[in-house]
Amino acid sequence: MSAKTYDRDHEVVQRLRPEPMTPEEAAAQGAIADIDFEIFCHKMQMITHEGKETTMKLGASTAMRAGDIAFGIFTAQGDLSICATGIYHHAVLGQIPIKYIVKHWLNESAVSVNDGDSFFYNDPFYGGVHAADMGLAIPVFYDGRLICFVGAAVHTGECGGSEPGGFVQNAKSKYDEGLIAPPIKVGENYTLREDILNMFAAMNRDPRAMILDIKARLAAARIAQRRILEVVEEQGVEFFVGSLRRVLKVTSEAARRKVSLLNDGVYRQPRFLDMIGTEAGLVKINLAVIKKGDRLTLDLTGSSPMMGGKPMNCFFQGIIGLAMVYFCGWFFNDLPANNGLLEAVDWKFPDDSFINAHGDTSTSLAPVVQVCFSLGMFLCGAKMVYSSNPDRASAPWYMGFGCPIYAGRNQHGEPVADVTPEVNGGGGGALSDHDGADVAGAWFATLSDCTDVEITETDRPILYLSRNLFSGSVGHGKYRGGAGVGIAMMVHHVPELAMGAFGSGAHFPMTLGLFGGYAVPPTFIQVVQGSNMDQLMHDNKEPLPRNLTEVYDAANPERGERAFEDVNMLVRPLHNGDTYYMSVGGGGGYGDAIQRDPEAVLRDLKFGRITAWAAQNIYHVVYDAEALRLDEAATQSRRQEVLEARKKIGRPYDEFMADWQKLSPPNDITQYYGAYPYPEKGVAPQPMTLAATM
Amino acid sequence: MKVRITENLDIDLTKVMWCCHNCSQAIIDARENYKKGLLIAERQLEEVHPSLVSGQKFSFTHDQKYCRLIEFYCPNCGIMVENEYLPPGHPLTHDIELDIDALNAKHGV
Repeated sequence: MSAKTYDRDHEVVQRLRPEPMTPEEAAAQGAIADIDFEIFCHKMQMITHEGKETTMKLGASTAMRAGDIAFGIFTAQGDLSICATGIYHHAVLGQIPIKYIVKHWLNESAVSVNDGDSFFYNDPFYGGVHAADMGLAIPVFYDGRLICFVGAAVHTGECGGSEPGGFVQNAKSKYDEGLIAPPIKVGENYTLREDILNMFAAMNRDPRAMILDIKARLAAARIAQRRILEVVEEQGVEFFVGSLRRVLKVTSEAARRKVSLLNDGVYRQPRFLDMIGTEAGLVKINLAVIKKGDRLTLDLTGSSPMMGGKPMNCFFQGIIGLAMVYFCGWFFNDLPANNGLLEAVDWKFPDDSFINAHGDTSTSLAPVVQVCFSLGMFLCGAKMVYSSNPDRASAPWYMGFGCPIYAGRNQHGEPVADVTPEVNGGGGGALSDHDGADVAGAWFATLSDCTDVEITETDRPILYLSRNLFSGSVGHGKYRGGAGVGIAMMVHHVPELAMGAFGSGAHFPMTLGLFGGYAVPPTFIQVVQGSNMDQLMHDNKEPLPRNLTEVYDAANPERGERAFEDVNMLVRPLHNGDTYYMSVGGGGGYGDAIQRDPEAVLRDLKFGRITAWAAQNIYHVVYDAEALRLDEAATQSRRQEVLEARKKIGRPYDEFMADWQKLSPPNDITQYYGAYPYPEKGVAPQPMTLAATM
Repeated sequence: MKVRITENLDIDLTKVMWCCHNCSQAIIDARENYKKGLLIAERQLEEVHPSLVSGQKFSFTHDQKYCRLIEFYCPNCGIMVENEYLPPGHPLTHDIELDIDALNAKHGV
């Protein structure tokens, strides 16, 4: 092995930006006509879209079927050039395993990289997120020359950790997380190695899904390979290689130009997580975005220390990956999604922080850490762009996850372990001129959806009692966030099923508003064991709850042993007929709710986007409750009263601070925070987690 | 000359002042944290996020041990310019600190 060690490769993970242009790539540039380049870009984009769609159609795990896929074409050096996805972190992070393959296996005779090979990877140190995110890539050769790689990264629902479903809340170190594979050759001569697949299957609670997912990635990559070779045959290999590299060059230049239009300054957004694994606790991500000239610097100095023995940590590269979700989807939305964008971005991470983990530390819940950070990117970004382009200033989409996990045998007797797809049912953030979209999707996977309930019910032992918009989910504002879904499920047709969930935001909001818009309410889980719901449905005598609002209504006839759980709920056995309720939050609000058009408030009320309580107490609208007819004069008068009242309850800064700074959270929730309120002034980082496993 | 910075805030480059966009009230020097020129109130979380369930470990109201809601109002018109959800006693965020000299240069002031 060229690294002469089996330790992690800390060098390759630093290479997030494009590699220098090779002499061959540089030599090709002069012969590429602009119009041919445009046609090339379009064609490559279509190839990756076909790859994404093929992966979705053939895959088995929930996320793959729902479209949480990044399908990309990478240069021969491993840089992502063209990508079809809404899950941009996988796009940008997906290049690290490819660069690893180039660095370690290309010239390693015991492995080598040949036409027909397939490489698998899921080590989060290289993938950036967590072990459930798995990728497969193939090299593409033309006349014996390596010209590019093609690959797909997708969340597979199970990775064999000490808890099912890809998220290990009790993980004390990476050794609790299950399969962790740095890039490994799993196929030769266009054939997957059955012995290796068999090993993967033996390490996984849902082998069928995992193996089908691997085959789906390979099938899609093979189709893309064929299409690419058609283009090479037609346009020539120099054109192809040069154009693939040119995409990165023009992306970099455009990114820097776009950054240069923003106002110079520092934009700050501290972020707080309320969960550290199986227990609640407060930790901080301290984000400052420094904009100067044509560069942005993400400075995370002042974040909480690494949490040894806990799963709520992540690698720095994952944070950069999630920053790219904001950049690709919102800020650089009109530029190609590739790592050329990072030529406009620098970063600064504190050592020994939970957002810059090292050693054997678990990163099993890294997705939660990363989306928490992302909200800071959203808010800093909105405040950066408003002055030059207010249309792009969006309140955050829902970011708390809220993702049911399950494992067991399904109604057909087959093993299953995965998540349900409602994580893709969150609301979109409000914008400067309109409300957020209802059930817009997961903000980090904007081209995915939460599929039909019947698809889940087909081979998962779950019956949906209801799944629809939840009126209590939106962030209020002059423009409100889109509604998220409320879900009601019952364990069905099996004696038992292990269920849990992961997410954050039951104590501290994960999804904030913008410019005076309000945050999204907390999410949590209600479980009713020994529920009479099955009997109630059988009897069909009294009205049953049709949505989450009615679930929490006093008239709900359901009886049983009711428990309220954190959205980060450790998996536990539920039995046939037990019920499970959760809300996936809506989007953050934008602007002062008192400025919302009163007629829009009544429309929201009519169509179940908000409650009557919110119409009266947040939006201060006066109306006839039966006819939903607006009393315009009374509303105006009521709102004026509120504005005057604010001037009475509001206090000047110094007066307010005199009382405010005397407050602090209780010590029992800040034990992992570092010194409060400035973590960096606290105690030395905790010992490495290897000790915790011995 | 005024430049729009957020939904609710302008900067008057001539006077070098943050101003309320709704009523044009001058708030504070543009090099300062604009929040220092606004009226500030802590709201009870239940006033904005009603619990919907009572007597349980979790509800639709955030946990005030972790989180407080701070609102910032224009001292003249009462519009909520911004709000912050912060742990108790955490310093208010200086969220927008612009390079005023660069802003002036950009707009030829």
